[in-house]
Amino acid sequence: MNVRLAILLATTAALAPLTVLPARADEVPKHIGYVVNYATHEWYQNVIKGMKDHAKLLGIDVAVKDANLDVAKEVAGAEDFMSQKVDVLIITPVNEEGVVPLLRRAKAEGVPVVLEGNPVKGMTTMVAICDYDTGYFAGIEAGKYAQAHLGGVAKVMNVGLPLLSATVLRSYGFMDGIHTIIPGATLVHDLDGGGNPDRSLEVSSAALAQNGDIDIIYGINDSSSLGGLQAWKAAGKSQDNLLVVGTGGEGLAFINAMEKEPSYRIEAAMFPEKEGYTTIDAALALYNHKPVAEHIVSPTTPLVGDDWKKYYEVNGTTRSIKWDAVNALTPPAKCMKTAADLKKS
Amino acid sequence: MASSSQIQPQPGAGRIAAAMAGQPQAVLIVLLLLLCGAISLAAAQFYSLANIIAILRQSALVLIVAAGMTTLLIGGEVDLSVGASLAFTGCVAMDATNRSGSVPVGALAALAFAGAVGLFNGLVVTRLRVNSLIATIATMMILQGGVYLYTREAVQNQHHLAAFTGIGAGYLGAFPIPVLLAAAVFAAVYIALRHTLFGRYTYALGANPIAARLSGLRVRRLKLAGFVITGLLVGVTGLILCSLMNAGQPTAGRGFELTVIAAVILGGTSLAGGRGSLIGTLLGVLVLKVIDNGIIILRWNQDFQMVVPGVVIVAATWLDTVRVRRRAV
Repeated sequence: MNVRLAILLATTAALAPLTVLPARADEVPKHIGYVVNYATHEWYQNVIKGMKDHAKLLGIDVAVKDANLDVAKEVAGAEDFMSQKVDVLIITPVNEEGVVPLLRRAKAEGVPVVLEGNPVKGMTTMVAICDYDTGYFAGIEAGKYAQAHLGGVAKVMNVGLPLLSATVLRSYGFMDGIHTIIPGATLVHDLDGGGNPDRSLEVSSAALAQNGDIDIIYGINDSSSLGGLQAWKAAGKSQDNLLVVGTGGEGLAFINAMEKEPSYRIEAAMFPEKEGYTTIDAALALYNHKPVAEHIVSPTTPLVGDDWKKYYEVNGTTRSIKWDAVNALTPPAKCMKTAADLKKS
Repeated sequence: MASSSQIQPQPGAGRIAAAMAGQPQAVLIVLLLLLCGAISLAAAQFYSLANIIAILRQSALVLIVAAGMTTLLIGGEVDLSVGASLAFTGCVAMDATNRSGSVPVGALAALAFAGAVGLFNGLVVTRLRVNSLIATIATMMILQGGVYLYTREAVQNQHHLAAFTGIGAGYLGAFPIPVLLAAAVFAAVYIALRHTLFGRYTYALGANPIAARLSGLRVRRLKLAGFVITGLLVGVTGLILCSLMNAGQPTAGRGFELTVIAAVILGGTSLAGGRGSLIGTLLGVLVLKVIDNGIIILRWNQDFQMVVPGVVIVAATWLDTVRVRRRAV
């Protein structure tokens, strides 16, 4: 008995330290491959920046290949990464159809895949903002601004991009948001600015000549809102009773505009760096076989006036994100509306 | 001996096409009047001062480069890099103005850069004997990639000089400055083409390059001059566009080359070289820009703005072919 007790005590003493150890830390992948759809766009430059910054702290190497909007290049890039035995693959799809076979192959080879931006049938997880919500909350702020400064009148020129469901959702969200504050808000012009500054300028110039009786310009990205504003200025109109609302916060353009243009008061910030940061977290979770949501929402928030200073600091011609402030934002668990809702309507 | 095609009467559609081909400028004037009349009947705002200014300002940007492109096409060459060069030039102009705090320095930088692009194109075509279509597509690719090596994002206006903003959005008297610049460029290129040896030699070169060379014309220099002139005019337009957008935008100018070429060939300038006029180019630009404007004023689907230049290129090329056949018989 004494011998048995002695063995039991000895075994307990040997195992005791294990019971008080913390849960085993996550395994960290060594190599992550990212195939981006269009690396020259400011949005993706900042997604990559956020991704690399976060990965560096975790000791992960992130290699990037640019598909340059070419599905064939995207497939080739992803296949290269799989041949190189990356631990996790991150893809921003150029289009849905091109990525489906890649997902199948990655699954067969046991390579976890995180999608960024756009959903694809058969995906495990995707990190993306909620486009409708982004426009919606900017619309609410625009409504409040119009009530306080524009006499409660909201006549909107939407410099949109009907080609993409994401940008259509932003425009719908904006108008729905503004209607919650000003039910009589009207959409005077619904334009296709192509997401480009010069095209936005051109179509806005013609639209303002046709009917200049607007007091809010909404752009689905910064180039669109700035193109609309420049058309307004070129028409010789005063910015006194105008509100410009941009979307994205991709680079320095919106900060410059919020600082220098009296009408540019609201930016629906989408924090591309945070989206990159979150994809690394998602990659880490997948690598460790942890459960992940199908859509991991990256936060967005409307910035009014000087709010941008809470999230960014500018040094010369570079901007730096304030991670503490951005990481403190709570994204919604689910989007109010998605591209699937557009198909239904 | 007369060919059978001369003896046989042309069918109705062929006669109309031949008549149109013979009088391209008259056709454009009628088309322009019809367009203006029809659009203004449907939307009275078409004739508002604000809209006329908007049309003229947008036309000015295209016309300035189209003047150079007309010269090039008459001489038998083409430049497809003008859109990419436009974007890069805008970035260079804004950057130089930011660094120097001087509008003239920014303007000179724009002209120097775009002129150098033109010179490069000209040298590749004349010295390396690369077809201008291929050479300038290559330049376009170099510039589209190069601009992102130069700047990863739009070059913002850090100088806030009123004179710079005035280049694109300002007025001299009642006239927008871009329109006045376009008028000055138009007059200069018109005189150069119609009333100088340079113009006559350019027409001769485009009509028959071998005969021009055998006649002692300095063919290489003429071609080089055409490319440099086009480059410099891209510099002027890049400066205006950068001022209008208040930033140097690396994404600007996509498809701009197609609009320019569509306007030039719509105006009756032959793709085969040797024929064309700047008046026709002016009319071509106005027709395209009135259509663009009309689509928005009438609230039509804006996708037509992409479709119409394509249709116009096909129609104008066909008319040019008819015209060439007519002259041949």
